[in-house]
Order: sequence, then C-alpha cells, then structure tokens
Amino acid sequence: MITLGILALVLLDLFARFEPRVAVSILLSGLTLGAIYFLVSSGLSLIFGLMDVLNFAHGVLFMAGAYIGYAFYASGFGQSMDSNLRFLIAILVGGASGALLGGIMEFALIRPLYQRPIYQVLLTLGLTFVGTEIIKAIWGTVGYFMETPKFFNTNSPNCPSPSLLDFLADNCSSILILGRPFPSYRLFVILFGVLVFVGMITLLQKTRIGIVIRAGVQDAEMVQALGVNVRRVFTGVFALGTGLAGMGGVIAAPIIGVNLAMGQEFLLQGFIAVVIGGMGSLVGATAGALLLGLARAIGDQLVLSGLQLPWMEQALSLSPSIARASTVLIMALVLLVRPAGLFGKKD
Amino acid sequence: MKIIRENAPALALIGAMVLFPFAISLLTGEPIDAGTPKFWQGMLAQVFILAVYAISYDLLMGYAGILSFGHAMFFGAGGYVVGILLKHAGWSLPAATLAVILSAAALSLLIGVTALRVQGVYLTMVTLAFAQMMFVISEATDFREWTGAEDGLQSIPVPAWLSPTHQRLTFYFVSLAFCILSYYLVRRITQSPTGRVLVAIRENELRARAIGYNTFVYKLVAMVVAGIMAALAGMMNALWNLNANPNMLATSTTINALLMTIIGGAGTLSGPLLGAAFIHLLGYGLNVAFGPRWPLLFGLVYVAIVLFLPYGFMGAWRSWLLKRRLKM
Repeated sequence: MITLGILALVLLDLFARFEPRVAVSILLSGLTLGAIYFLVSSGLSLIFGLMDVLNFAHGVLFMAGAYIGYAFYASGFGQSMDSNLRFLIAILVGGASGALLGGIMEFALIRPLYQRPIYQVLLTLGLTFVGTEIIKAIWGTVGYFMETPKFFNTNSPNCPSPSLLDFLADNCSSILILGRPFPSYRLFVILFGVLVFVGMITLLQKTRIGIVIRAGVQDAEMVQALGVNVRRVFTGVFALGTGLAGMGGVIAAPIIGVNLAMGQEFLLQGFIAVVIGGMGSLVGATAGALLLGLARAIGDQLVLSGLQLPWMEQALSLSPSIARASTVLIMALVLLVRPAGLFGKKD
Repeated sequence: MKIIRENAPALALIGAMVLFPFAISLLTGEPIDAGTPKFWQGMLAQVFILAVYAISYDLLMGYAGILSFGHAMFFGAGGYVVGILLKHAGWSLPAATLAVILSAAALSLLIGVTALRVQGVYLTMVTLAFAQMMFVISEATDFREWTGAEDGLQSIPVPAWLSPTHQRLTFYFVSLAFCILSYYLVRRITQSPTGRVLVAIRENELRARAIGYNTFVYKLVAMVVAGIMAALAGMMNALWNLNANPNMLATSTTINALLMTIIGGAGTLSGPLLGAAFIHLLGYGLNVAFGPRWPLLFGLVYVAIVLFLPYGFMGAWRSWLLKRRLKM
C-alpha cells in the first residue's frame, strides 16, 4: 500500500514536471535500471532469507559474470558466430560462471562458517577483495566497452524504428516512443527482467523445490528435520542467486561498460534495494529495485536539467554523483519510517 | 611500584619506541634526521596512526559487537576537515583539531542515530551505504574547489614544527604520544562500567536491556568515541601524507581496519596494535617483493585467517597459554 502510494506521488510529480514523452522515457530508463538492480537484489535477498548470509561477494560475482561474458563475446573463438547468438551464449556463460563460482564458494568456504555468523560476512568481504584483485590481474585496470548485438544495432534508412513491430523488421538501435527515440536494447533489458521475475515466482510458487526454499526461509531447521537435505538446497540457492547476478553483469555490460568499479556500485545498489524492500522477500527485493531504479533515473534527469525550487531564481545544477549519493538518503528515510523495509516482517 | 610492575610490558614497549630512533641511528651510524633512521621513523609513525584507527574500530566491533562497514567515513572525514580548514580557511592546527573532533562527534551522532535503529547485518549495510555516499560526494566535481574531487586535496599546509618531511623526529614523537594516549583512553573506557556494559551488549543485547540498560545510548557512546578517534587518526594520516584523497573514504580503508583488528585479535586492545604493525610492515615487505600484485596475497592471508585463526594472533596466543597452563 505504502509503496503504491509513494509510486503514485512520484509519478504525479514526474508528469507535472516534464511533458509526457519525456516523463515516459525517464520511466523506461528507470525500469531498465530497476531490472538490473533486480537481478542483483533478488539473489542477495533469497540468500539472506534462506541462510542468513549477507553476501558481500555478490558484487564481485556480478562483475566476474560481466568480464567472463564479455571475454566470450569479444574473444576470437566466438567471433565467427553470429553476434546475436554470441550474445545469448555470453549471457548464459556469465550466468553459469556466476553460479559455478558462487556454488563453489558456498560449498568450500561459507559452509564451515554457519556456526560463526559474523565471520561469514568477514569472509565474503575478503573474497570481494581477492576477486577484484584476480580480475585486475587477468583483465587489467582499464574498462571495456561491450557492443550491443546486431539485433539491437543495425543501421537502416528508416531508423529510429517508428514502432515495436517495425523494430522486429529493421532492428534499429532505438525505437520512437511517443515521438522520442529510446534505445531498443534497454527495452530488451526490461523484458529480460520481467521474464526472470516471472520465472522466479513460478519456481518459488509452483514447484516442489520452490516449496522447500520458501519453507527453508521460514525455518531451515524444521525443513531439515522433515528429511530434506537443506545443505544441498543452500548450495543450490546460493548458486541460483549468484548466477542471476552473473547474468545481470552481462546484461548490464552494454549499458554501463565492463569495469572494476561496477561490482561495488551494483552491490551497494542491491543492498539499498534489499533494505528498502525488506530482506528475504522476493517481492520486496523487486519493489526495492524498481523504486531505486526510478529514483536514479529521475535524479539523473533532475541534476541534468537543474533543480529549480520555487524560491530559487536560478536552477541548481549538480553533477550526476549527487544523484548517486541521494539514493542512500532514500534508504535512510525508509529505515527511519519502517526499519524492517517495505515488505519485511516486523520483529 | 605496583603500577610499574603491573604494566611492565607496556612500559618496556613505550621505552623501546622512545629509544627506537636513537638506536637505529646508532646502529646504522647515520644521522637521526636522514637516511635509514628517518625512513623507519616514518614507517613507525604510520603504524602508530593506523593502530589508533584499528583500536577505534576494535572498540566498535570487538567490544560493543557493532559490525560497521562505514568506519572509513570517519577516517576520511577527519582528513578532509583538517585539510580544508588548514588550506582554504587558514585555521591554526589546534583550532582545526578541535573542529575535527566536533565534526566527527556530529557525524557519528547522526550516523549512529540512524544506523543503530537497525541491527546486525542491516547495520552493516546501512553504514556501508553512508560511507559510500561520502565517498561519492568526495569525488563529485561540484566541490572541486574545496575537495579537489577525484585528485584529492593536495598539499595541505602543515605547520613547520610538525612537518613530516623536515621535522620527522617531532612527527614521530607526536604520533607516538597520540597512539599511547588513545590506547590509554580506550583502555580506561573498556575497563570502566560503561565498557562492561558494551561487552554485555555484544554477548547478549536482549539480556542487557532486560537488566535495565538503555543499550541504544551505550552503543551510541561507543560509536561517537570510535568516530572521534578514527577522525583524529585520519587527521594525522592527512598531515603525514600532506593530502586527503577519496581513497581514505573508500571501502578498502574500512577493510583495512577490519584486517588489522581481525588479524591481531578482536576484543583485545593489543590485538589491533599488533595487527596494524603486522599489516603495515608486511604490506611494505610484500610490495617490495611482489610489486603491485601484493593485495591479492594479502586478501588470501585474510581469508585464511578468518577461516582458520578466527580470534587472531592474540586469541591464538591466549589459547596457547591456557593450554600450557592446563598441562602443567
């Protein structure tokens, strides 16, 4: 309810401030960012909900997925392949490497520490450090730019595509939405986020393993007592969460590039999304990610166009870093009003 | 006499540290304010500063059980406040020191009141987010005039009598005194009734509250004291480097505090001291031996210690002592 209320207020203000087509494209940018945040925060939230582990290495796995996916996408042995197919496989490779690394991490390093909760956090933080150094050693400190595949990047005379249907025929890099061009790849990111969300909900609500996971979130010991091998479920969920993060890294790469700062940045936004939404709830993590994405998009637009408050003569213009910093304030506000987050259980 | 006997190891260590510059000068035959003696004075001065930073973190983590991942923000804030006041506002050092203390108190109160509303890992995330906000602001181009944005605040005018380049020996003794004073202060706190309550909160907050302590206030006190100490350490660090840069506010600086505390042994006061010395000197050694790849080795050492030596050097030492006593 509260979330819907906030959302309605934000939207009203957005449409009052900008003309509709600008507002719509800000909204879409927000959804794009939200979809990427969702890929990070959903895993964080599930892992925390099930095994009470706050995974600080999530950002590094996000980054590792991006680097490995990029390496596959840009490297020689895949170059002869069609770029669309290469991109698809790169997403899978990123996801698989995230899942594999996460699974090994849980199995080998975190499992001995379930008796000492605080040390898991310390360990995952240390792994962040190690992971970043390893990536630095392999790929160096310079960032890379990842091109979008041909499906979203074809030049033709009738670009930008006037509508979604036309886009399917000419594959332009942007599509006109209410007469304003919007990158087609970003629409794909939104679609991908929605698909993953639907997939996760189906997995959690409709399958047997989903029932076990949800029961485990409620009380892992009880599930163990009922004869389920909870440890194996733990490893599986950990791998699932980090796999989503790795996939998210590849998906995000064409938008933000591949660099050493991305892990930390997205880990932090993932945390903020999870805190806003409430730990351990998939819906909460999703709502938090969306709110955060919208806030970032609106914030970026505001600092870009300058913030003019009624009593100011001149618009206050700031750098994008201020918009980045302001998301923390949103989190602080939510915490002050509802310490358990918007969808969290009160305890 | 009793006091001296009880604190013999500490006094011996202080004595050794006071004599250290002269001893090295005698050993190498070089003058005290040049060459090898000067270099090692610098190394140890940095160890003293880092030790204060680590001790302040240990007060939070080891004693009160507050796992904050935003400690770098106080360290960096101290550096930036003193830098801006000395360079742009032209304040004197004592006035700037007072300003560092006051601003650190205000900042830690603000963060404490917000972050201590939540517990456990939530607090960890919230403090990390605040620290990251400060980091982003320090890099923001809007305040380039004042903070120098991503280049950092360069060439802070340190008073001539304390200049780390020309008056290295003075700087050495000032940072030694700073370290001893901070150590003594934190020891008084941890041995006071307040310190006992902090340990009680770490062990079982619910019970501490049930006994009738307002745990929020006690945790806030720990946060403010640790914040002020970290800010002062950050100030000394800025004076030593003659600059304050965004890296002081970065997560790696918090990790550094964690490393020193964990490796030395959390919940003891000599642990962080030992950890600071170990990390700074080992880091220097690894840097000489392996070049820019050394943080990787460092991270691996850290992971190994978390896995196999959870109570650090001091913990391992104490359990070894205990075992030996049981055998006798």
